[in-house]
Amino acid sequence: MLVYIVRRLLWLPVLLGAVTFVTFILGYYGPGDPVQVRLGTRYTPEAAARLRREMGLDRPLLVQYADYMRKAIRGDLGESYTYPGRSVSSLIGKKIWVSAQLGFAALLIGVSLGIPLGLLAAYRQGTWVDTALVSSALFFYSMPVFITAPFLILVLAVRLDLLPTAGWKGLFSPHIVMPALVMGLPGIAGIARLTRAAALEVIGQDYIRTARAKGLPEHLVQGRHVLRNALIPVATVVGLSLAGLVEGAFITETIFGIPGIGRLAVDSIFRRDYPVITALTMIFAVSFVLANLLVDILYAFLDPRIRYR
Amino acid sequence: MVKAQAVGIPVGKGESLWLRSARRLLRKPKAVFALAVITLLYGSGLFAHWVAPYGYNQQDLTAVRQPPSARHWLGTDGVGRDILSRLIYALRTNLIITAASVLTGSLLLGVTLGLLAGYLGGRVDSAIMRIGELFTAFPGILLVILIAATVKPRVLEMVRDFEDATGFRGLVRWGVVDYFVVFGALSAFAWVGMARLVRGQVLSLKEQPFVEAARAAGASLWRLLFVHILPNALPPVIVSVSMGLGAIAGAEVVLSWLGIGIQPPVPSLGNMIWEGQSISVLQRWPHMLLPPVITVALLIFAWNLLGDALNDVLNPKAR
Amino acid sequence: MKKTLVWLPLVILLLTLAAVGCRREAARPPAPEAAPPGQAAPGVTATPTPTVAPGPRTGGVFRRLWDDPPTLDPHLTTDVTSAFVILEIFSGLVTLDYDLRVVPDIAERWEISPDGRTYTFYLRRGVKFHNGREVTAEDFKYSFERAADPKTQSPVAETYLGDIVGVVDKLNGRATEVAGVRVVDRYTLQITIDAPKVYFLAKLTYPTAFVVDREQILRMGRRWTEQPNGTGPFKLKEYKVGERIVLERNPDYYRGPPKLDRVELILSGGNPMAMYENDEIHITGVGLADLERVRDPRNPLHKELVQAPLTFDTYYIGFNVTKPPFDDVKVRQALNHAINKEIIARQVLSDLVTPAYGILPPGFPGYDPAMQEKGLKYNPDLARRLLAESKYAGRMPRIIMTVPGTGGSAGLDLEVIMDMWKQVLGVEVEVQQVEWATFLQELNRGTLQAFAGLGWIADYPDPQNFLDVLFHSKSPQNHTLYNNPEVDRLLEQARVEMDWNKRVELYRRAEETIIREAPWVPLWYSGERFALIKPYVKGYRLLPMLVPRLKDVWIER
Repeated sequence: MLVYIVRRLLWLPVLLGAVTFVTFILGYYGPGDPVQVRLGTRYTPEAAARLRREMGLDRPLLVQYADYMRKAIRGDLGESYTYPGRSVSSLIGKKIWVSAQLGFAALLIGVSLGIPLGLLAAYRQGTWVDTALVSSALFFYSMPVFITAPFLILVLAVRLDLLPTAGWKGLFSPHIVMPALVMGLPGIAGIARLTRAAALEVIGQDYIRTARAKGLPEHLVQGRHVLRNALIPVATVVGLSLAGLVEGAFITETIFGIPGIGRLAVDSIFRRDYPVITALTMIFAVSFVLANLLVDILYAFLDPRIRYR
Repeated sequence: MVKAQAVGIPVGKGESLWLRSARRLLRKPKAVFALAVITLLYGSGLFAHWVAPYGYNQQDLTAVRQPPSARHWLGTDGVGRDILSRLIYALRTNLIITAASVLTGSLLLGVTLGLLAGYLGGRVDSAIMRIGELFTAFPGILLVILIAATVKPRVLEMVRDFEDATGFRGLVRWGVVDYFVVFGALSAFAWVGMARLVRGQVLSLKEQPFVEAARAAGASLWRLLFVHILPNALPPVIVSVSMGLGAIAGAEVVLSWLGIGIQPPVPSLGNMIWEGQSISVLQRWPHMLLPPVITVALLIFAWNLLGDALNDVLNPKAR
Repeated sequence: MKKTLVWLPLVILLLTLAAVGCRREAARPPAPEAAPPGQAAPGVTATPTPTVAPGPRTGGVFRRLWDDPPTLDPHLTTDVTSAFVILEIFSGLVTLDYDLRVVPDIAERWEISPDGRTYTFYLRRGVKFHNGREVTAEDFKYSFERAADPKTQSPVAETYLGDIVGVVDKLNGRATEVAGVRVVDRYTLQITIDAPKVYFLAKLTYPTAFVVDREQILRMGRRWTEQPNGTGPFKLKEYKVGERIVLERNPDYYRGPPKLDRVELILSGGNPMAMYENDEIHITGVGLADLERVRDPRNPLHKELVQAPLTFDTYYIGFNVTKPPFDDVKVRQALNHAINKEIIARQVLSDLVTPAYGILPPGFPGYDPAMQEKGLKYNPDLARRLLAESKYAGRMPRIIMTVPGTGGSAGLDLEVIMDMWKQVLGVEVEVQQVEWATFLQELNRGTLQAFAGLGWIADYPDPQNFLDVLFHSKSPQNHTLYNNPEVDRLLEQARVEMDWNKRVELYRRAEETIIREAPWVPLWYSGERFALIKPYVKGYRLLPMLVPRLKDVWIER
């Protein structure tokens, strides 16, 4: 197993190199030109040529790439084109932290509400509680944020005035409640369904019946067997969402005015802010690989039938 | 996913199994409801030309932003167009998008690669999975935007010439080109999720006795994969596809709003929501925002319901 | 300012695609369904009802919504979002007053040589940077040199300073110093330009010409804008990216300290109306969806409603005159005459815009109201006749109108216009949305057939900024590729004509021809704009252009 992990991790620098190289190619040959975007409607060919020279964009592709990688290895990710003078790392660092907080809150909501609700549905299987919960889960499962958010905002912020409509003041402020809720809803739905399914599988099984027959108290029956079994798929989901934490959630951030990494990513793509795009790509790549590795390891531990060679 | 069923589906009885499943499906009320909604919505989209009371771009500047009335059951929009008609045509757009996303091969690609990766393991598995990581790690939006900016105009040119030559109109206008190009580009990324799903299934399945048996009987690789393993791996795939089709409605809004996709004045659920949305509009002219929003929600819900019903039917261990 | 993107009205809350400059450039007159961003575009004038209050008091905090400025370096700024903040922290030789006249700022007076090419500026004494150091002519020399230094990478140095002798040379590496800027003595600065251009002074009001602290830049390098040592009425106290900017009063400001203690710009977004009603911000624009509610006399907000003056922008559709069918002037004129702008403005956009028939917006220096009459008005019969007379009658090639941006709609007005073209002329135009970067590229290459969704906002109050920059055949911003030697001649003459009336006459003749030859369909000037201002906020001026104004605001409590 260790060998396997190491082998997967060795792949990482290769991946980073490949991904950044592709980004450079797209920047070099692709449509849209950061210099023209910078100049906007104040474009003149002379200004463009001058800026291009100064920004180093008139050098051959490989030279630019090598230069970038050389600096990147030392930790210098360059300066943003859109925010001149601001270093990419400072720009990204702050926003990733914000998105991570939001993502974490959403995940927390998903897990802390999803698991109990799923268990509830499983234990009340067949009753109206079960039906209601399952239907709601199915409803919210892939409901996009821009559908749930306006209604939530209208009710909670505008009509009832319980929460602020938008803005961001950190993890422990009321501003986080609605966006985290909105992002967490599909999570609650998904996790609840998974939990319910897994719990149902186990509940009927022999060893539970045996445990109960032996006279084990109910909460032990639950705690040890059902929950543990239910956690398997949930852990998978959580593992995969970890990558999402870093990616941010563009739409939610836009709706709620949260200065997160999702917005930065999309903005920088439209503005051809390649230093930022490249840095973000690298970060996403790393988090993705790590998250996948985590999940695969989890798979192997949890289902002994799976073998990796 | 982790607990795959261990039942092997014997070859040869396949047909009656699917038929049987279909019948069981139709006995479930939630499936019937879901299918009814889906048929109704997509049906009216398909026959939009005959169903819709007005044209999708019939403007009436004297009747702007009217609330629902006898003449306009869902009211009118910012330039006096009938919202109900636009909604129906928007469903037609959604049909095109759904077709585009299914037909562009990410499904086929994902399933095939997943089968190969799971069954063959070793280097093949690593290669496929690592390449998959490469694609997903990459900001897909960037590629899609760039492709939309470079490839799409050329394809549009070609199709326009084709339209001029044959007199057939509507391909460009209905967004067929836009969506096929976009989903074609997206399929470079979309296959990964499906592949991983299938691979997970295959990993659990391949040590099963029935696979051993088939191998011993001398089945070739492709026969093994597609005739023996795939039908067993299929149920979660079907469920996942069903959920995915629902999510398309949501994805289309995002595409619309990234400017990739159908061009105005042709309506789509995405651009109707975009035109209508803000808290202020929701309060002042709800009839402009609610219809497309509710339609999207219904579509997603219906597909999810269907997926859930399919799960019940196809996965014998679930209840 | 920059040509604006016509964005679908940005709704800060929902699905605003904060892509591409859409929030840096002023928002387009809001399309009816959405509220404009909280930052009312360079605002609006209104003289708030004159209060009979005891005089201005000091103290208080003024709050409004704003966006993250891309930069706080005056030499790098190109957009409204940055400029608004920069104008309060920095200053230069001259500035604009509330009547949009060029008035002294750090320079207390100036002399112009008889040939109109040399300006001698006499600086005020005792003007200090925020850290107490006195501003001298040397500092200005340094600042101009820095702006013209290719290493600074100022995108707009050519545009605003290019008339100064030597700037272009330095930018292109042909010189190491700007020959046209000379320090005469500690408080005297001399600037020589390449021709007697009357509008040069107006260009100096833009931040590219502002003074910066050489010592700070040498010491802090690229990060100097984190604590800029400027000369303006406010100091930058705090800047949390994505959260807020706090400006603090500069008590030593040479034109008298501002009354306010602080200004807070909230960057994290929100629902402007809700925040205003919650007293979280003190001013907001009012969008169509809220307008009725606020206009209702029974609503207490009604008393706080203020009307804005028209801003200096013109929105238009541009035709590439080198591409069929727009190479035929009759086609262009026909398309102009087929549009009923009044009904669109009234019914669809609820009078948030005013129909435009000329290039210069109302109230702009050189604007002639009679020009509206010379415009190509709605006349369907004439339109049909012109089209029939054109060489494309009956064999119209495909027309694709490209618009920048994203989102579902190309703009309701454009959708109506396309419908009108179809109904009146039987001409079908396809719209093609393209994302901003690609749009710019194609626009600059001249490959677009027709384009819309753009507006031109004035950078400085002079007709040269519209007519010359947009329609001279050699101007890089002439995206229609309009080429009329007679018009070129008029524009070149007007550049160096020193008599104001003669200049205006030259521009008038040029504009008339341009309107008649219709490389554009002028669509809109900004129309009625409304804002809400808290009654205890006094002295906030709403103006058609971006002018520093926070120093005169005071809070009455």
